[in-house]
Amino acid sequence: MPAGRPGPAAQSARRPPPLLPLLLLCVLGAPRAGSGAHTAVISPQDPTLLIGSSLQATCSVHGDPSGATAEGLYWTLNGRRLAPELSRVLNASTLALALANLNGSRQQSGDNLVCHARDGSILAGSCLYVGLPPEKPFNISCWSKNMKDLTCRWTPGAHGETFLHTNYSLKYKLRWYGQDNTCEEYHTVGPHSCHIPKDLALFTPYEIWVEATNRLGSARSDVLTLDILDVVTTDPPPDVHVSRVGGLEDQLSVRWVSPPALKDFLFQAKYQIRYRVEDSVDWKVVDDVSNQTSCRLAGLKPGTVYFVQVRCNPFGIYGSKKAGIWSEWSHPTAASTPRSERPGPGGGACEPRGGEPSSGPVRRELKQFLGWLKKHAYCSNLSFRLYDQWRAWMQKSHKTRNQDEGILPSGRRGTTRGPAR
Amino acid sequence: MLPAAGEPAAGDSWGMLACLCAVLWHLPAVPALNRTGDPGPGPSIQKTYDLTRYLEHQLRSLAGTYLNYLGPPFNEPDFNPPRLGAETLPRATVNLDVWRSLNDKLRLTQNYEAYSHLLCYLRGLDRQAATAELRRSLAHFCTSLQGLLGSIAGVMAALGYPLPQPLPGTEPTRAPGPAHSDFLQKMDDFWLLKELQTWLWRSAKDFNRLKKKTQPPPAAVTLHLEAHGF
Repeated sequence: MPAGRPGPAAQSARRPPPLLPLLLLCVLGAPRAGSGAHTAVISPQDPTLLIGSSLQATCSVHGDPSGATAEGLYWTLNGRRLAPELSRVLNASTLALALANLNGSRQQSGDNLVCHARDGSILAGSCLYVGLPPEKPFNISCWSKNMKDLTCRWTPGAHGETFLHTNYSLKYKLRWYGQDNTCEEYHTVGPHSCHIPKDLALFTPYEIWVEATNRLGSARSDVLTLDILDVVTTDPPPDVHVSRVGGLEDQLSVRWVSPPALKDFLFQAKYQIRYRVEDSVDWKVVDDVSNQTSCRLAGLKPGTVYFVQVRCNPFGIYGSKKAGIWSEWSHPTAASTPRSERPGPGGGACEPRGGEPSSGPVRRELKQFLGWLKKHAYCSNLSFRLYDQWRAWMQKSHKTRNQDEGILPSGRRGTTRGPAR
Repeated sequence: MLPAAGEPAAGDSWGMLACLCAVLWHLPAVPALNRTGDPGPGPSIQKTYDLTRYLEHQLRSLAGTYLNYLGPPFNEPDFNPPRLGAETLPRATVNLDVWRSLNDKLRLTQNYEAYSHLLCYLRGLDRQAATAELRRSLAHFCTSLQGLLGSIAGVMAALGYPLPQPLPGTEPTRAPGPAHSDFLQKMDDFWLLKELQTWLWRSAKDFNRLKKKTQPPPAAVTLHLEAHGF
């Protein structure tokens, strides 16, 4: 906290002052800095100016019995003394100032232009507001979390640097009816956002726009027209779990719960899953996961940690075909595939429960083979599942074989048998 | 003041004194030492003291941000502008002897009234141009200041003093006159923050003093005389 400034007043200590000297200061009735205070006026008071413009100002001292005149007065701007050639004495009691090509205000509360007496005390001050009028805000995007509210975000024009305080106001109205409404809850998801909590109609278009105003003017964004039902989103799916699939070293099973809000809204959901290896920044995306709440990722690298996220898009709201807005991705969940010596190919789709195609070439071919086998050979209980079980068993016995090698060289090779079923 | 140390020996004040001294001397040996009932205003005075220190800390960071918002020279050390419109602010500085001689009631009342006024002024700060964060900090500080008022009120109630009621017409209004310029407003803001700081410094000393005064002296304790010799 600032304390006394050099001047006729005794300097009070900086902080914290011992009580005794502080109280004595008052006892002695020490005169305050600026004993000639309140006897001067700056004109213009608190002007607003465009960047690059000029300013002519005057400081008029009046009626000071101690005989202070314009001689010895000087100007400071934001605490820095201005060059003497910018000032000139107009008459016995007036000092003038000429500033050209003004820069934008240093702070939004205004630049502090101060007229000082010879001894440095403050006689008068004026706040200068130098800046630019606002530019058109743009890029308005809105979404509704529960079909009752609306949150909108926008980008201020000229990246917001007007040097003046600019007030943003989000307005909305029903397209064919009614009056303008103003959003009240600002800064909900960042500095340029607003939240409309209630009283919104569905199945009818709204017009939404942003008005930016400051001391130098105002600007209005383009109007965005939308129907609340078209911009519905949900929270990300909760409870995302990723787990291993038995001993399979190239698969992980992802499970989640559909967002609870969906129950009330009579719409379906489609999901997207993305996953990446721990050290990588490249996400693999699994698209078109419609209306399931689980998925098996295949073709993964063994012994690797994967991060998995899921997001949701509500669509078919009240029977419409339109999709909504994708939710945020869920918090990343991590899981690792079991270790193995054998490398595995990369993949990008869910493993089937039924018969959806997989992308790994070996698996695809095997699938086709099994399918053919089923039809043409009498192996009715052949299935892809069986293949996976065999692989798991192979892996296990491969490990035991490696262990045994060291202990019982004459060993139990006889245990390598096909699956029992 | 004499303690209740049992019935005094009839007519013998010196004997009583000797008895008292003996009791005090044996104090550590007396096993059952019971204080009467509740702890008194001590804990709430301590809390109020702690609160002034906390507020002082909060104010330091708030003032730093706010003065930067006002811009230089307001945020320069050693800045001391004329104190104009801030005449109505409650002044914390006072003659040392006067301060020492304040009775508890007056001491507490002055604190209470000062913070009521300061809170009112602080609430009247209308800084639309400030960042949302600064406005939040201001609001938070106002809430804390309200807490301090409550705490002081609690101490006054515990000591049996009535709360000062605001007289009609003395409510501080910070409505600036029509000619109140932005720069004058900035100076008012500066002095408000400065006066708040000075008051918090002073209150810490006020409550420290009160703490020492209300700590019960050992002689004021009721003794159960189980000690030998009596």
